[in-house]
Amino acid sequence: MDRRTFVGGAAATAGTAAALSAMALPQDATARTTSSGGRGPAQSSPAQPGSPANAPPAAYYGGRDSDIPKVGLRWAFSATVFFADRIMIGSPVPRGYTSVGGGEIWGPRLQGRVLPASGADYYRGTFNTYYMFEASDGALIFIHNRGTMRRFQAPPEAGKPLTPATTTDPATPGWMRFRATPVFTAPVGPHDWMNRTVFVANSQRQSNPDHTVFTYYEVL
Amino acid sequence: MRDFVVPKTDTKVLGEVKLEYAFQLHGRYDAPHVARTPKGNFRYQDITSGDLRGERLNATVYPDSGGQYDTVREDHIRDVDAHFILKAENGEWIYVEHVGYRHPDGFYRVIAYVDADTKGAYDWLNNTTFVVVAKESADEREVVFYYYVAN
Repeated sequence: MDRRTFVGGAAATAGTAAALSAMALPQDATARTTSSGGRGPAQSSPAQPGSPANAPPAAYYGGRDSDIPKVGLRWAFSATVFFADRIMIGSPVPRGYTSVGGGEIWGPRLQGRVLPASGADYYRGTFNTYYMFEASDGALIFIHNRGTMRRFQAPPEAGKPLTPATTTDPATPGWMRFRATPVFTAPVGPHDWMNRTVFVANSQRQSNPDHTVFTYYEVL
Repeated sequence: MRDFVVPKTDTKVLGEVKLEYAFQLHGRYDAPHVARTPKGNFRYQDITSGDLRGERLNATVYPDSGGQYDTVREDHIRDVDAHFILKAENGEWIYVEHVGYRHPDGFYRVIAYVDADTKGAYDWLNNTTFVVVAKESADEREVVFYYYVAN
């Protein structure tokens, strides 16, 4: 059986397959582009795709002492990633495999799609994903994404330590912190900034179908 | 202007990340060794000592427990790959890894991954992502890293 047939067939959940087939391709996204009322500058002076001019304002964080340098986060783009089949390997430290079926990338500094069947999460102890983005200009961008996940009893309050959850029961109220830190390898050209930018993402697992929404912030 | 479209499939459009300052590390290094390799210039720098201070963690760098193993790229940015060990004031051991970039102006932006004893006093470091900024001294022998928790 062909690998792609396999992913699109019995192994993938029906929900994932339906979601993938319903998903807009980048060309469609262009067609749906709004020509007025956008967030960017006027059409007479178009910002290049990927330009920081398209991005919303950054949020800056600092320490109690003024000698601690401030750090800014600015939303760069988001990615919806659909996962397909899951495999567990009973190696000395168990290795998981969750294939990346596809997805969509949207936001101020990058648009495109997740290249279908281009990689997976090769989970071992922590989220550790390798796959490819296809930007709307056709550029292929490699993403190696590591993640950390931890459940706490309540969301953070400034200055107060978080209390880890004592149960893994999802029915118990709590707050899941799932952060992802990608390293991108992008071709020379308009996406070159991704090769020299550190990112951190808020990641949210969604079910039915199984997918994760990543909100990527560039560290300024 | 090319605007963007939020896919219908998304239920939560923008997830938040907030940073909270945690601690700073003053690291001291031997002079760098740089070698030309087929993969670019490789730059090794031994971490000889260091002090970490913060409200929830105070520690010292275990001398010569590692260092920085960077690749100097064509654009003169360094791909940072650092590994070392800390000894906390209560004697517990902590592993630190840095992944990110050192820019030609001497400023760093890296992500730190930290492992501590789950049964110890610093379990809160586990499964925590740190966003780190740093500035290198002019002689490249000292770096002060500022760690923020990505909440």
